Amino acid sequence: MNIIGPDALVFGVDDLAACAQYLTDYGLAPAGNGRFEALDGTAIVLAHKDDAGLPAPMGTASMLRKTIYGVADQAALGAIAEELGRDREVKRLPDGSIEALDDMGFVLGFQVTVRRALDMPAETINAPGAAPQRKPNVVAVDENAPALPRTLSHVVYFVPDVPRAEKFYVERLGFACTDRLVGAGPFLRPAGTLDHHTLFLIQTPPFMKGIEHFTFHMGGPTEVMQAGSRFVNKGYQSFWGPGRHKMGSNWFWYFNSPLGCHVEYDADMDLHDEQWTAREAPAGADASQLFLFEKRDNWAPGGPPPGAAGAAERH
Amino acid sequence: MDSVYLCRLDDIPDGTSRGFDPWREGRDTVFVVRQGAVLHAWRNACPHYGTRDREVPLAWRKDAYLDADRSSIVCAAHGARFDIATGICTLGPCLGQGLQRVEVELAPDNNIYIPPQGGRRPI
Repeated sequence: MNIIGPDALVFGVDDLAACAQYLTDYGLAPAGNGRFEALDGTAIVLAHKDDAGLPAPMGTASMLRKTIYGVADQAALGAIAEELGRDREVKRLPDGSIEALDDMGFVLGFQVTVRRALDMPAETINAPGAAPQRKPNVVAVDENAPALPRTLSHVVYFVPDVPRAEKFYVERLGFACTDRLVGAGPFLRPAGTLDHHTLFLIQTPPFMKGIEHFTFHMGGPTEVMQAGSRFVNKGYQSFWGPGRHKMGSNWFWYFNSPLGCHVEYDADMDLHDEQWTAREAPAGADASQLFLFEKRDNWAPGGPPPGAAGAAERH
Repeated sequence: MDSVYLCRLDDIPDGTSRGFDPWREGRDTVFVVRQGAVLHAWRNACPHYGTRDREVPLAWRKDAYLDADRSSIVCAAHGARFDIATGICTLGPCLGQGLQRVEVELAPDNNIYIPPQGGRRPI
C-alpha cells in the first residue's frame, strides 16, 4: 500500500469565517471551495457543519469529517480498494478517489496524490568543526521571511481502542510503528514516506473520539519560531511550545483553534526506513519534549525583566 | 485582599465574552460572558486538562470563548462545549465536569469587580 501521507483534512465547522481567517493567518493559501493549501498543495478543507456534502459527524465534539490520503499511483489506489473492499463498503467518488471507514469509524479518502514537488532549501546552520552551510556574508535572519507551511505533515487521532486501530493501519494499509508512547499509542509511518510519523494514535474514552491536532512541516526551527511568533502577535492562543519532541525529533508549537483541535507548526522530523527498531517510553512530558520554551514579550538584558509590572506575557 | 476592577459593563458588548488577567499572571486567567445585565465569569481553564500546574486556556484567540451563534462556551483545545450559565460540559472531552465559577460584582456605576477572594485559586 504505497500511501504517501495525508493530502487533506476535511472539517465541518460552525464558524466558517473564523476558521478561514485562522487558516489564512496560519499561512495556508485560500484556493476556493473552502480549500486552504500549503506550498505543495496539501490542504485543510472547510465546510459548514450542516453541509450535506460532508461525511457524517462522529457524534463527539470533533469537527474532523474526513482524512484524505495521497497515494503514489492508480495501482496503489486499486490495491487499497481491493483490500478494504473485502470487509467494508468502498465508495468510488466522482473525482476518482475512494472512500471507506477505518475500524474506529473515521472516514478515510484515498486519491492519487495532488502533492506538488517542492524545490526549496532547508534552514542552514554554521557550527565550529563543520563546513559552513551559509557562506560568508549570508545572513540567517530575515525579519520579513515568508515562513509558510510547506506540506501537511501528520494528524493525531483520539481513539477508543488503540490496539484495534493500530492493527487496521498496520495490517490493512501497510503502516509501520516507528515508536510508541506507552499509555498513549503508536507513531505510524505509511510505506510511501520516510517521515517518522504521519499518524499518531492516542487512547481516550469513546466520548473523546476525534482529532487531537494536525500540523504542517515548516522549513526549519527558525520558521517554526517566526511563524508561531507572528501567530501569537495576531492574538492566537498558544497551547504548547515552542519546543522539540523526543520521538521524531521535530520542533513544535501548538495553538488552540476554532476547528476544535490543536493546530501545530513543526519542522525537522526524523526519517526512518525498515531498518529502524521502534522505541518505547511511558507517555508524559518527559518523553514528549526534549525542551520547552514559553513565549514572552520582547525584552533584552538591561531592560525590565519578564514579569515586571505584569509586563511579561506567558502564553 | 482588595476587590479587583475588571472593566465597565459597556466594555463587554451584550452576548460577547472577554478575557482578563486580574491577578497579573501574564495571561487571561478569567473570562466573562455577558448576557444582558447578567454576567457569568469562569476561570480560563478547561477541566479536560485543567490542573493547578497546567491550566489550559479555552480561547483560540483573545476574547474568543463562544461558538459562532454565541450560545455556548467552547474550548478551542478539543471542542468541548459548556453551558454559559452553569459551566457544565455538554459535549466533548470533559463530559460531566464543569468550569470553575469566578464571583463578579456589577456595581451601581456599571463597573465590574471581582470581590476579595472572589475567584483566586486557593493557595
